[in-house]
Amino acid sequence: MSKTDLIEKYFSNSLSPKEQMRFNELLQSDEKFKKDFTIQKDLQKVIARNQHNDLKKTLQDFEKDRPVLNLFNISKKWLVAASILILVGLGFVFLKSSFYPSPEKLFVENYEPYRNIVLPIERGENANTIEQSAFIAYENKNYHKAINLFNSVPKTNTTYILFYKSMCYLSLNKTNEAITLLKKITYSDYEANSEENFNELANWYLALAYLNIGETEKASDQFSIIVNDDRDVYKKEDSRKILKYLN
Amino acid sequence: MEEENSKNIIDLIKSGDKAALRKIYDENRNIFIKFSRKYNVEKVDALDIYQDAIIILYENIVNGKITDLSSKISTYLFAIGKYKIFQLHRDNSKVELQNELIIEEENIYLDVNLHGDELTNQQELLNKYFSQLGNRCKEILKLFYYEGYTLDEITEILNYSDKKVLKSQKSRCMRQLKDWIKKEL
Repeated sequence: MSKTDLIEKYFSNSLSPKEQMRFNELLQSDEKFKKDFTIQKDLQKVIARNQHNDLKKTLQDFEKDRPVLNLFNISKKWLVAASILILVGLGFVFLKSSFYPSPEKLFVENYEPYRNIVLPIERGENANTIEQSAFIAYENKNYHKAINLFNSVPKTNTTYILFYKSMCYLSLNKTNEAITLLKKITYSDYEANSEENFNELANWYLALAYLNIGETEKASDQFSIIVNDDRDVYKKEDSRKILKYLN
Repeated sequence: MEEENSKNIIDLIKSGDKAALRKIYDENRNIFIKFSRKYNVEKVDALDIYQDAIIILYENIVNGKITDLSSKISTYLFAIGKYKIFQLHRDNSKVELQNELIIEEENIYLDVNLHGDELTNQQELLNKYFSQLGNRCKEILKLFYYEGYTLDEITEILNYSDKKVLKSQKSRCMRQLKDWIKKEL
């Protein structure tokens, strides 16, 4: 067996007793053998040390990563108390959410884009005007396209155009843009020649829009306007219900 | 069942699975600190000792001294920990404690002092140049010198066509190291 093989066997722990004796002898008598072995033994130590340091670092990282709140150090009594508190708290939150829906939820439950009453479109009818194309897009819930087309009609500032544009924005959840338009409509005068009173509609949708962005106070004011109207205005009953949740 | 679990864990750890190591670390950490308190060891020291105990366990698994756990992992950790705690007290108080290995109580044979001493000059140089070797070299040398695999086993692990190829690759790695060191001496 060669000297190299002997050293190799040493490192894989497989020297026989006889080989071990020869190994020891060589270590005593053969300077080159000794040198050759020592450097390998040193290398072993160096690698082990590197591994050791890497591992120590890994463990220290484990330690750093530990959650700050250490449940094992808190007595059971406190854990039980805390759990009960959490349960009770959750109960309240649950109760509140089932009886008092959030403003956003109220919006979702009540919002529906107003139907197209301006240019009723027959199935399969082709668009002859930009306005018609806009309403086709609107009915197909293609709100981006509808907004673009509404912006291109000859009389973009007509109340009903503004109103349907605001419907598009609300449907796209661009609530602030919708609010700007709806405000304009609620401030504008009653349009005598319009079949539908867009003021009335705008009041309702503006109230809903405030709900959607969590402006409950403004929403309340807006719903109050509807409820306090002497006339039988659009969504008066629904507004009354929502007001109850808000106050 | 218990035995099968620890066998799995050993295999996982040997394959370098960090999650398995972390599991062991987290599972035994708090009892270990509690246990150290009985020996008047402060938390900072207890953690340090605990980490060393984990490392020793790990190294004994890697170098094949532990192939399957006859006792629970925690028993090993506490045995090593106890030994380290006594070492700490001895170093601090210089009172000569009876130096029997406490570990023998548990009938566990472990190598607990793999690398205590300072590095010699040659070791410092090896340390410096080992990190400059290519990954292939590092891997071969690590498998052979640290994890204790035979050349036959490494041939298989690293997919060499035969042992001779591996052998000459390994001696090239060693020669590289020796050449670098020679320049410094």
